[in-house]
Amino acid sequence: MQPAGQYSRDRCITGVHGLDEILRGGIPYGSTVLASGTCGSGKTTLGMEFLVRGADAGEACAHFTATEPSVKLLENIRQFKFFDVKMVDSGLINVFDMDVLYSWLGLEKSSFDLDDVHSLIKAIVDIVNTIGVTRLVIDSVTTLCYKIKSEQLIRDFLFTLGKKLATLGCTTILIAEITSATENAHWSSFGVEEAIADGIIVLGDVERMGHLLRFLQVVKMRGTSHSRAKHAIELTPLGVMLTPMLKWGAVSDTHNRWGA
Amino acid sequence: MKMFDLDQGIADQLTEVSLNSAIQVRCGNSNAFMVTASTLIPLLQAFEMSGVYISASRGAAEVIQGFEAIGVDVSHIQFIDLVSSGILGGTTVPYSNVHFVDSPIMLESVLLRTLYILKTTDNERNFIFLDSVNSLAIYNEDRMLAEYLHTFINTFRQQEVLTVILNVPDQTPPLVLSNLDLYCTDLIDRGQVVIH
Repeated sequence: MQPAGQYSRDRCITGVHGLDEILRGGIPYGSTVLASGTCGSGKTTLGMEFLVRGADAGEACAHFTATEPSVKLLENIRQFKFFDVKMVDSGLINVFDMDVLYSWLGLEKSSFDLDDVHSLIKAIVDIVNTIGVTRLVIDSVTTLCYKIKSEQLIRDFLFTLGKKLATLGCTTILIAEITSATENAHWSSFGVEEAIADGIIVLGDVERMGHLLRFLQVVKMRGTSHSRAKHAIELTPLGVMLTPMLKWGAVSDTHNRWGA
Repeated sequence: MKMFDLDQGIADQLTEVSLNSAIQVRCGNSNAFMVTASTLIPLLQAFEMSGVYISASRGAAEVIQGFEAIGVDVSHIQFIDLVSSGILGGTTVPYSNVHFVDSPIMLESVLLRTLYILKTTDNERNFIFLDSVNSLAIYNEDRMLAEYLHTFINTFRQQEVLTVILNVPDQTPPLVLSNLDLYCTDLIDRGQVVIH
């Protein structure tokens, strides 16, 4: 029971060690969350774990991959000790190659117009609706949006997709590639994804005396209070593990942290 | 082959601590291995505990060989080696219970690796042995190390994992030393007399 006057939305419990604590219980259901990160920062692993944890709880999950073939992705999922191949066989984890989807839709072209974007949204929403998907990952939205040439169209695409998925009760992680995760950087490649998303999780590296430490930071999450601190992460067979980053060690070398 | 007598006083003192204790074990340069062995052997044999040994002062293989030389089975200990990754070929060891972290500066990674190992162990009675604070102090700035010890000790105390922290006090910065005194619940003092 909650104290009078307090209201909290139902949560999608990610199952990721430490992340639900940061989010004070999980991602509010139906949210569209941008997971932005530099290369090698763990964003694909985070997305995969989000799905496997969901499947482990009996939820139907879908992964649209535009960055690597689905076969390779499924091989990588096997690293998790909590993964069971039955999750795929029983239809709880569904992986779709974007290239195959484009081919089905006749979208094998270098750029998409308004009609193409709408048919893509319809296809994704139809799949989510048909399977009853409650957790979705698109990896990466950056690769997908490269085909959409106008900012306005990207905005429409993400807004419409997010709205329709929310209506279906689907919690979505859009993975975005960025080149820098410093405080002055954008959280997305096109600058519009971050405004549309309900939540932003940034992944990157902190350099400490020549060594790179992975970090995760929840910058924004509508519908819940949350920690905004940097957390160090490790990618393990038990999934992503987090601990608060040391306050005296969270600043990169380039900020003269170790200087005289 | 036993090259020294174990310190029975340490074993006696260990009977007084609980699983959520944090013990600072002070030693000198010359008695570090004797003090380490006198602490670990009762934990392994009398208390039948498993544990994680964080090795920042020497490579894990050298520590294991030291115990093997005195006839102690350390297969119930998982070692986290913070030294050998910085040495060419240092990570090629004939032991399956050794994990490597790139550098003693990756303090959060050490904590997370330890938590990971604890999650994968079946034993309910575990200890963490940190060897040693003075070695970590070579690489890490005082305030960061003090902050780390605060997090480290509280994390494992909360999880009811016995924390044992080896320290050569005259090689440890005063700020770190005073914080260690503050956070630890028990002290086993076999260190040298130090006047700061």
